[in-house]
Amino acid sequence: ATKLLPLEVIDKSIGTRVWILMRGRTEIVGTLRGFDDFVNLVLDDAVEYAPDMRNGGQMVVTKLNSEILLNGNQIAAIIPDSNGPPDS
Amino acid sequence: MSGNRRGAPPKRDSIFELSKLMDTMVRVKCLGGRELRGVLRGYDDLVNVVLEDCDEFLRDPMDMQIVTDETRKLGKVVIRGTQVSLISPEDGTEEIANPFLGADDDGED
Repeated sequence: ATKLLPLEVIDKSIGTRVWILMRGRTEIVGTLRGFDDFVNLVLDDAVEYAPDMRNGGQMVVTKLNSEILLNGNQIAAIIPDSNGPPDS
Repeated sequence: MSGNRRGAPPKRDSIFELSKLMDTMVRVKCLGGRELRGVLRGYDDLVNVVLEDCDEFLRDPMDMQIVTDETRKLGKVVIRGTQVSLISPEDGTEEIANPFLGADDDGED
């Protein structure tokens, strides 16, 4: 099969839930509304999963409940069509 | 040095073609310590990468530098080229005995 282009895969996932892995341990799940050349993302109904450094690094879930602009600088991976980390 | 006008800069060929690794299992290490492994299904000039059936290697929560053998399934993943530090084929790698163990003396060469 011919190769998939990464930016096309991202483009195809506009409108779906995407799971973003950031450079550290933070993860974000949201509905992808769009992105730019730098892969800054606009996400809707975003949920943040971040380690709480004041609580031994346990993951804290924060519903951001609004459209956000996620800076592409720290984005390591994008998982299209996903609801994020499975609940334990 | 008269009027040396630059057109397009000369195109530099990459020293390694990812096309060689297409449809093979590769391990991708990211800046920041994440390690992922999956089948290479695509890439671009900026080394953004598409992996399928991708797993992420989990790290020890006590010490994020320690990568365990435990994985979690991610599925199809786009990895940002700006965050890639290493791509290597799984086929052709093997684990060897740790050469750094047993250094009891000081000033070991």
